[in-house]
Amino acid sequence: MQAEGESTSNGTGSGNSVFFDGMSSRKRFVDLSFATALEIREAGELIASWPYDDIRRADGTEGMLRAACEVGPSLARLEIRDRDLALELVKRCLHFDEHAVGRRGVAQIVGWSFAALASIAFLVMYGLPYAAERLTPLIPQSVEQRIGQAADKQVRIFFDDKICTDPKGQAAFVKLVTALRGAMGLETSVEAAVLGSDIPNAIALPGGKIYLFDGLLQKAENVDEVAGVLSHELGHVRNRDSMRNMIYTGGTSFLLGLLFGDVTGSGAVIFATRSLLDASSSRDVERSADGATVEAMHKLGRSPKPLGELLLRVTGKEGGEKDKAKGKDKGISASSLLSSHPLSEERLARMSQEDRPVTGAPLLTAEEWASLKAICGK
Amino acid sequence: MNQLSVPAIPGPDRPVSVQFPGKRGEFLHLVARGALLELVTVGFYRFWLVTDMRRHLWSRTVVDGDAPEYTGRGRELLIGFLVAMAILVPIYLVYFLVGLEAERIQAFASIPLVAFLYVFGQFAIYRARRYRLSRTVWRGVRFWMSGSGWAYAFYAALWGTLVVLTLGLALPWRDAALERYKMKHSFYGDLQGRFEGSGWEFFKQGCWLWPAALIAIPLFPLLPFVYGLFKTIQWRWWMSGIRFGEVRFESTLESRVLIKLYWKVIGWSLLLSALFAAYLTLAAVLVGSTSGLSIAEAYTSPAFLQSIPFAVATVLGYIAMMLAFNVIFRLYLTRDFWAQAAMSISITGLAAAAGVAAKGDLAGALGEGFADGLDVGGM
Repeated sequence: MQAEGESTSNGTGSGNSVFFDGMSSRKRFVDLSFATALEIREAGELIASWPYDDIRRADGTEGMLRAACEVGPSLARLEIRDRDLALELVKRCLHFDEHAVGRRGVAQIVGWSFAALASIAFLVMYGLPYAAERLTPLIPQSVEQRIGQAADKQVRIFFDDKICTDPKGQAAFVKLVTALRGAMGLETSVEAAVLGSDIPNAIALPGGKIYLFDGLLQKAENVDEVAGVLSHELGHVRNRDSMRNMIYTGGTSFLLGLLFGDVTGSGAVIFATRSLLDASSSRDVERSADGATVEAMHKLGRSPKPLGELLLRVTGKEGGEKDKAKGKDKGISASSLLSSHPLSEERLARMSQEDRPVTGAPLLTAEEWASLKAICGK
Repeated sequence: MNQLSVPAIPGPDRPVSVQFPGKRGEFLHLVARGALLELVTVGFYRFWLVTDMRRHLWSRTVVDGDAPEYTGRGRELLIGFLVAMAILVPIYLVYFLVGLEAERIQAFASIPLVAFLYVFGQFAIYRARRYRLSRTVWRGVRFWMSGSGWAYAFYAALWGTLVVLTLGLALPWRDAALERYKMKHSFYGDLQGRFEGSGWEFFKQGCWLWPAALIAIPLFPLLPFVYGLFKTIQWRWWMSGIRFGEVRFESTLESRVLIKLYWKVIGWSLLLSALFAAYLTLAAVLVGSTSGLSIAEAYTSPAFLQSIPFAVATVLGYIAMMLAFNVIFRLYLTRDFWAQAAMSISITGLAAAAGVAAKGDLAGALGEGFADGLDVGGM
């Protein structure tokens, strides 16, 4: 009302309410009369007649009631600043607040959101793993190799292109990989190389490229340990785990993005949620790749146990001290449920179970093993 | 009730100042409730919340005795978002495949593809503005927009490149050119808008901030000051350039108002971050103690970082922090900024808007959907 005193527009009429006819911005001062419908008069002349049942509330400023009408020009507005007059009008209009999103409206939004959440959760937990399982065999090897080549370029840049190529070490490495590849029945297109990085790790890229990191090679004490790592990664290649994981990850990212929208303003929650989901599925994937190691090593007449020993050496004990009788059981059971990868102890236990007397020839001679260790020139 | 039976007859050039009688508590209640509902609805409530915020701000911005009305609805935004998603998904897929091919030839060659998303984002910005404007009604007549979102995106991309090449010095001319396009295609009823601000004028007022920004970047506590000064100059220049027929605008916004708002937000953010850190420590101690290990062991175990209860606690805490941050952000940078900016405006020549005839159609909410999907939304 304070604003009213400032008005510069030349309104017409002399009533105590303001009317805009929705056709022009002309401000008309009108009188209201409550007949069978709301009659709006400017200087005595009837300019609009609104049926009470069609009158709805529109957003107004404080101290002013703004009304619209469902029939006639959709933007016609009536503004009443007189409190008693406004109450008088509202009393007559039974559907005045029909358009407001009331408690029921909010409950509906919440309900539908739950339905959407449930359907997306179902898709993420059951639909996408199934789809990834089914789609992976359908994707041609050539497509997977293209993806792998793209990933390979990035890995090389990330690690400064430090591929170790000492000729003697390389010869030993090729011999080892060829033996394993043969034992696992993989194509020759599967390539492997040693990366000069101190991180104790090994990775399998889509399309069958394997990188053994020098950090892990240096921690290994014999050939069978390295063979175990390589056959584990070859197992990922054979199962096409990277491809399946890519389909699954892409799908979950999209679905979760749909959910969270801009609540977070960033992908952080999506990323965190996804790594949780990934963790739960990756344990099975890792076990299956460990199975490949067991199979390959048996075929070559070697024991898979050294892989377990190497893993334990790299990660340290994960399940807690052995002599804490109470803590031990609790510790292992709790952590193995919580953590995303099988525990090194658990993996060692499995490999030990599969331990068999060595029947095959050593995979590399002592001399070859020494050159492999020195492949990065250290 | 003391109504004006005889309208005031001022000179045609008497400036009218804009008022904002909105109550801060009301808006705080609105955004706090909205944040909780966003949490419960895993984000879907955002369409209704942003609608409620706009309705609140629009209807409390009193221009010459009459506040505009925002007639958009949350449902429209939801549908716009769903349609935009249906279009964006195949685009993302193609984007992914093209990126893959590029990466195969040269690592990180797909980065220029980000430029495509930038152009698409500009398109979304234009179309979202069109939606908002066509949902703005003042005195029973709606604003509306013509023009092409793609043409705008094209100009924006060209100007954006120029700004990058000139290390930001071309920014005033970019702003002027894009604003000219937007305003030329903006209408209030049959009253066409235009933009008369010149890039040179903006440059003269703000050019000293360019070296100032270079100094402020290493001395980051200075950044809110430089940014506040820049935003104030930009805002006043922008306001003084807008025309609708004979209607002109002028703003007296002061930079200290903005700088104060920025510091308040920074202070709250620091406080929230500290709370989040304390919460994480507590969660870590609790999770560590349930695993049956001593605390030192639990922390050194690599399994700890992959512990699912800890990850769940982290995500929940993070969401709570982001929601609280959103409330603060909306209260200070949306509502308070809006109120201060609105009250700094004075309008002359409003008589030209007194007899405007209604014209123009409603624009679809698809642009808002794209803007939401691409994270370039605004008020």
